Amino acid sequence: MAAVVTVQNLRKRYRRRDPWAVDGVTFDLQPGQAFGLLGPNGAGKTSVVKMIAGLLRPDSGSITLFGTEPGNPVARKDLGFSPEDPDFPKFLRASEVLDYFASLLGLDGAERKRRIPETLAFAGLDTEHRQIRQYSKGMKQRLGIAQAILGRPKLLVLDEPTADLDPIGRRDVRALIERLKESGVAILLNSHLLSEVERVCDTVAILARGRVLKEGTMAEVVPEGSNLEDVFVQLVEANQPQRDHLPSFISDATP
Amino acid sequence: MNGSGAVARYTLVELSRRRILLVFFVLGAVGIIALGIGLKVLYQVASSNPRGFGNGAVDPATFDHFLELLFVSYLFQALAVFALLIAYAIGMTAIYHDLDSGAAVSIFSKPVSRLAFATGKVGAAVVGLIAIVGLLALEARLVMFLFGGGLENALTGQLIAVMANAIVVMLIVLSLSTWINNILAAVVTFIYFNVITGIITTLHLVADAGVIGNTAVRNVFDVLYWLVPHQLVSSAVRDLAQAEIQMSGGVQSNQALASVPAPSGPGDIAWWVFTVFVFAALVYYAVRRRQV
Repeated sequence: MAAVVTVQNLRKRYRRRDPWAVDGVTFDLQPGQAFGLLGPNGAGKTSVVKMIAGLLRPDSGSITLFGTEPGNPVARKDLGFSPEDPDFPKFLRASEVLDYFASLLGLDGAERKRRIPETLAFAGLDTEHRQIRQYSKGMKQRLGIAQAILGRPKLLVLDEPTADLDPIGRRDVRALIERLKESGVAILLNSHLLSEVERVCDTVAILARGRVLKEGTMAEVVPEGSNLEDVFVQLVEANQPQRDHLPSFISDATP
Repeated sequence: MNGSGAVARYTLVELSRRRILLVFFVLGAVGIIALGIGLKVLYQVASSNPRGFGNGAVDPATFDHFLELLFVSYLFQALAVFALLIAYAIGMTAIYHDLDSGAAVSIFSKPVSRLAFATGKVGAAVVGLIAIVGLLALEARLVMFLFGGGLENALTGQLIAVMANAIVVMLIVLSLSTWINNILAAVVTFIYFNVITGIITTLHLVADAGVIGNTAVRNVFDVLYWLVPHQLVSSAVRDLAQAEIQMSGGVQSNQALASVPAPSGPGDIAWWVFTVFVFAALVYYAVRRRQV
């Protein structure tokens, strides 16, 4: 089966003097596979997914998205992308945002009429008539996920999808991922919530300072008797300078 | 082009809900009515005692025509100012807020090309500007009936020139706001379009009128003049100046009219078309290069 996305030796840095944000990342993703991209803050996870979505240009390496490069709009037809901290044109309402994006996806009128109310109901925004500028972060996150699934994508990229969601929202996202996986949709999940990744992903890659430290199936990465959090902490701490965990003015203070 | 229609449509929806545009529109609308009513009241007061005006030398018909000219001349200035304000407001917001807020991340991950996005944005911005300034002009035309009408054609010509100039300003702000902060973009555009271009155009006008005798200096201003956008001017400005000079009983001299810009010729119009294409292409280039 042809890979949905193939990433090869990807490198990116934002300024010439900066260290590499992404340094030689390679992986591929098959239909129906859920791939978890893990790493501490600044590991390069968001840069990787933004390059897959055609939002950033890699400095070197290659990405193939549905057989073509992500800069080609045709390649993004089957891509659903829910960004970290999503935002939208602030004077529009949720239904208008979805109608706007449905038009960009090329959905016809009948399909828009069917999908938009259902997607809004899934996101819990069907009764919300305020403009986006009045939304909370959690509401924007819900809308971010809603617009990502609107085109019924074959690849769903979720960048920290549950960071601002309440427990019910998190449960809904987990159920969504499970359901999409069953129907053959490939999922690329960026998350700090390791328990969540452990629950839904088949394969994981742990990144630090732009490099893949470990990659494999969940069974390969997490030895029996251990858990993903222990593996993650060990790997990341071994690959970054040691630091005191608490500032001295806290740890040295006498009660 | 796939998606440009949707981008244009929802950009217009957004623009219609922006308070700053509403404020400029209301100010313009109220200003034009106030101008018309104010001059009409002045006329009523003056016509009740026609001998008291201009040492009794002006008959009521001439005075009526004078007021009409005065109104049209103020109207031109008011329309030009509000068209520019609206151009700055649209230019500062139409693309910048999508890029700044992160809305562009969701938009650009959809199957829409950057060309379609830029085309939709520029199209919506131009339509928005024409609609708002057009409404103000329509109101101005209605107010002109207070004065009996007769100068509507002059208003149409000047309106086209005002809109053409405002479109250039808006495109410059749009392209700059894709690279830099939108307030900075507006400041840079103001300095470039209203200060530098204004100075070069005035000096070129003065040189053309023969005030500058040195041929080399005149040639320098000729070259500079063709390096900046030309503000289009309709024949109405000179016609009005001519009429006002006649009305005030002044001797019409070429020197007095020399300070009034001549109507734009085919060369200026062709240059305007070229600059519009250049700045629209710059908007596209900036959007295309932008990583979000």
